[in-house]
Amino acid sequence: MLPTVACAIVAIALFATLPLSSQAAASDPALVPALSNAPTPYLSASVSWNGQNVSSYGSVSSALAIDLAQSETLFYNWTSHGARIAINDVRLEMFYLGFAVTTRDVDLNTSQSNGSVPLTWTPISVSYLLEGVYRLTASLIATNHTTMWSENFYVRGTAPLGFVALLPIVLLILLVYEVYGLARSGRYAMTGRKPTAAKPTTPPPQAPPAQTAATTPPSGGDQKPTEPPAETPPPSGGSS
Amino acid sequence: MSATTHGAGCGVVLGIVLVVLLQQIGSLDLSDLVPTIEYLVVGAVVGGVLGALTGWVLGRNYLARHAAAESSAAK
Repeated sequence: MLPTVACAIVAIALFATLPLSSQAAASDPALVPALSNAPTPYLSASVSWNGQNVSSYGSVSSALAIDLAQSETLFYNWTSHGARIAINDVRLEMFYLGFAVTTRDVDLNTSQSNGSVPLTWTPISVSYLLEGVYRLTASLIATNHTTMWSENFYVRGTAPLGFVALLPIVLLILLVYEVYGLARSGRYAMTGRKPTAAKPTTPPPQAPPAQTAATTPPSGGDQKPTEPPAETPPPSGGSS
Repeated sequence: MSATTHGAGCGVVLGIVLVVLLQQIGSLDLSDLVPTIEYLVVGAVVGGVLGALTGWVLGRNYLARHAAAESSAAK
């Protein structure tokens, strides 16, 4: 009982001291002017594609329709506020399954805190390969290789004639083949199953008269019983 | 391999192919790895279960028809 009360008192004391210390730090006149006088540096930037800001293509439903094999030019504009933020690299990446499948960089000779840089980019070199929705990331890289600004947007790559791309055609063929295989999967029910009608417990009704006819002599004569011909198939059920 | 197993295999492949095909026709975003893996796993599991059920039902129908054909041929 006593340790529990002691722990509760200590916990209450700790919780009570936390807000007081934070308030004291915030209201300390020696710290507040120092924090307010230091301007927070930030970077305002934008990327335009065919004169349109890419921030308007921020979702899959509003993706920009492009030809993946056609060259496009993007314009990067940025301005640093407060302290000087030096940008040394302008980058555009296209992601698929979490990996950057294509990357395009423009290395600036001298780092710039303000600027406008065009970036010419061709998503894929083979036009008859892919289509679909992809996420692009436009980013500004500082001299210390730190990403200072980035923005994600989506493009919808269209194939020539709307459907002539290798991957969707292969996927469609695979889809049809698997549906066909699924429709015929019932035939595999006979796999490993021995036919029950092949092992009768009693011989078929046609067999005994044939054997008796072959073994018993004719009633009116003393001829020897004739052997059944060799090419006569055995009665059903005698496969073993 | 039974009809159920064969149907489940076809269903798993169908589920995975369908997810990638939806991305290719522009209905699904597979840019990030984690939701992509989730989509593929869900597609494979759902396709496998549905394919197994379909294979099981088709196998029963095939056996019923085959047994009826054998019995009629025996008569």
